[in-house]
Amino acid sequence: MNGVSVKKADIAVLPQDNAGSEEKRLGFWLTLPAQCLVLFIAVFPILMQLYISMTDWSPLDGIPWYRAYELWIGFINYTDLASDSRFWAAMWRTFLVMIVCVPIQFLLGLGLAVLFVDEFPGKRWFYSTLLIPMMVVPAVAGYMFFLLFQSGGPVNDLLSLFSASPVKIAWLSDPSLALVAVMAADIWQWTPLMFLILLAGMISVPQDQQMAAVLLGASWGRRFFTIVLPRMKTIIIIALAIRTIEIFKIFDTLYIMTGGGPGVATETISVYIYKVTQQDLIWGYVAAIALAILIVLSVISAIAISKMSKGANAR
Amino acid sequence: MTQIALSNLGKKFGSFTALAQMNLTIGDGEFVALLGPSGCGKSTTMNMIAGMVDPTEGDIRFDDRSILDVPMSRRGVGFVFQNYAIFTHMSVRENLAYGLRAQGVSASERNRRVNAMADLLQLTPMLDRRAAGLSVNILQRLAIGRSAVVEPAIFLLDEPLSNVDAAFRSVMRSELKALQRQFSQTLVYVTHDQLEAMTMADRIAVMDHGKLLQVGTPLEIYNNPQDVFVARFIGSPGMNILEGTIASSDEGKLVDLASAGRSAPLALSDRAASQGLPEKVLFGFRPEQVNPDPNGIMALPVNFVERIGARTILHLGGDGIEAKAVLDNQIAMPSIGDILRFSIDPKMVRLFDPVSGIAIGGDI
Repeated sequence: MNGVSVKKADIAVLPQDNAGSEEKRLGFWLTLPAQCLVLFIAVFPILMQLYISMTDWSPLDGIPWYRAYELWIGFINYTDLASDSRFWAAMWRTFLVMIVCVPIQFLLGLGLAVLFVDEFPGKRWFYSTLLIPMMVVPAVAGYMFFLLFQSGGPVNDLLSLFSASPVKIAWLSDPSLALVAVMAADIWQWTPLMFLILLAGMISVPQDQQMAAVLLGASWGRRFFTIVLPRMKTIIIIALAIRTIEIFKIFDTLYIMTGGGPGVATETISVYIYKVTQQDLIWGYVAAIALAILIVLSVISAIAISKMSKGANAR
Repeated sequence: MTQIALSNLGKKFGSFTALAQMNLTIGDGEFVALLGPSGCGKSTTMNMIAGMVDPTEGDIRFDDRSILDVPMSRRGVGFVFQNYAIFTHMSVRENLAYGLRAQGVSASERNRRVNAMADLLQLTPMLDRRAAGLSVNILQRLAIGRSAVVEPAIFLLDEPLSNVDAAFRSVMRSELKALQRQFSQTLVYVTHDQLEAMTMADRIAVMDHGKLLQVGTPLEIYNNPQDVFVARFIGSPGMNILEGTIASSDEGKLVDLASAGRSAPLALSDRAASQGLPEKVLFGFRPEQVNPDPNGIMALPVNFVERIGARTILHLGGDGIEAKAVLDNQIAMPSIGDILRFSIDPKMVRLFDPVSGIAIGGDI
């Protein structure tokens, strides 16, 4: 009998089934306004874009955007996009900047992080100096590099020191060199961010594991490649993903340096969109381009996130 | 299999002296525990042997060869970290093989040695599992195996059991001791837990404030502490230390303990007798040596009764005197406020100099 009464007491203490679902329902109602707001902020612009991209709407047509269905053209914008050589050329240029700049920024950042992970005299001073480029407004950085790369500018002056005759390279007006100048500006400005993220990751690699590796006879290189780098995997993926996505959006520095020119030699995807939006005013088409880029970036992010969660599971 | 000799070893961090005048020789295959409270210099000593910290004074010799110029990756020291420092992004096999790979051992030899080590430590079933998420006793075995597989000259263990919950510690202790017997390696073990030191070590080196106070077998340290700190630190509860004055009686010298009464005539060793006694002494006795005795010449009021199962700890004191008694539950237990009369076997009394804190006459 005693046992039975104990059981009864236990049941009374347990939360009852419908009490639990009651609580859930209350929670749902309480968070509903916030959830609607988030949904509205995140999803509405995308849906609007999707809608506009199915039309031939432009602000000059004289009808408000919500009546754009009057100009419904279905997937024509997308089929046009597929055969738009200027779009694909801009995509390719963006991709080129990405595959040149991201690895260089990564290797420079990693090298700097290796130097800065140990103490040395003047470290704080060097550290602050290194971070300055990151804090410069991109438009200002663009203007700085515009001046640096003039044919009578400091870059050519510097190169002249190492050559017999004065160097007069027209960096920004030579279609094959303008993109190099743009890449140099991006590397200058964004290597510090890479360095900062990688340094944070390197500092968080457990010291005792590194010590354990050394005590087992590991050389510096072995310790670095078997302990430090693998343990930084997650942070490396984050750093690479941030820079990859940011380079897709490269605009202000570049626009000030070259305006996308000469011709279309430095026209990346953002510059192309800007031109189509502001100069050609075909907004339905712009919406289609933007959605296409959104899809590309989402795929990049999804790959990064899945790699990251794998890395996290391995810990 | 190596003998370690520390001579006049010292370490200063700026103006702070972490370790001074450390002289200790650890024999071939011996298990020595460095025991002391945190900040006593035991970990500094250990890190200097491993090469993670450079001494500012003195010398460290392995088999009569100074190793101060040998970088830590070449010292041949197996180090087990407090949290084991297992490479959790690798498999158990990769962990075990790490040192062999670093030293360029051939693949076939490497496999043979890793498999043999895994066999010895019963790690074979999990060789290809990731090291993340293994239970703590497996991590301990893996940490030891990872160091042992490269056949280090010596083993250093830095508080390996401090992250383990109390219930599991005794299991880990016996496992550790069994492993040390298997490898019969020179082993230095840093701990602040006297139970670990007492149960596992061949010899214990008790340290405090950067000084080595006493080295001896666990029983020597327990029975004949050479220093009042050691006396208080070893044993749970530690030795009672009362201030007293030497007095004379017909039966010989005894100690007047003020309000606690007086001791039985002292059983002085020849050395203590020849050394002569200072006027004031510290009178030490183990709480376990308190014999309740209605005719005892010592008496203290009971302040608190702490029952810990088979035994009971009485907190005694009054008038600036504090002492503890550990009694078996068989006897009638006094209650709070009672006066406990007791006696101490004169052979079990230890005297210390009140100024230097050093034991008077050594072994009594």
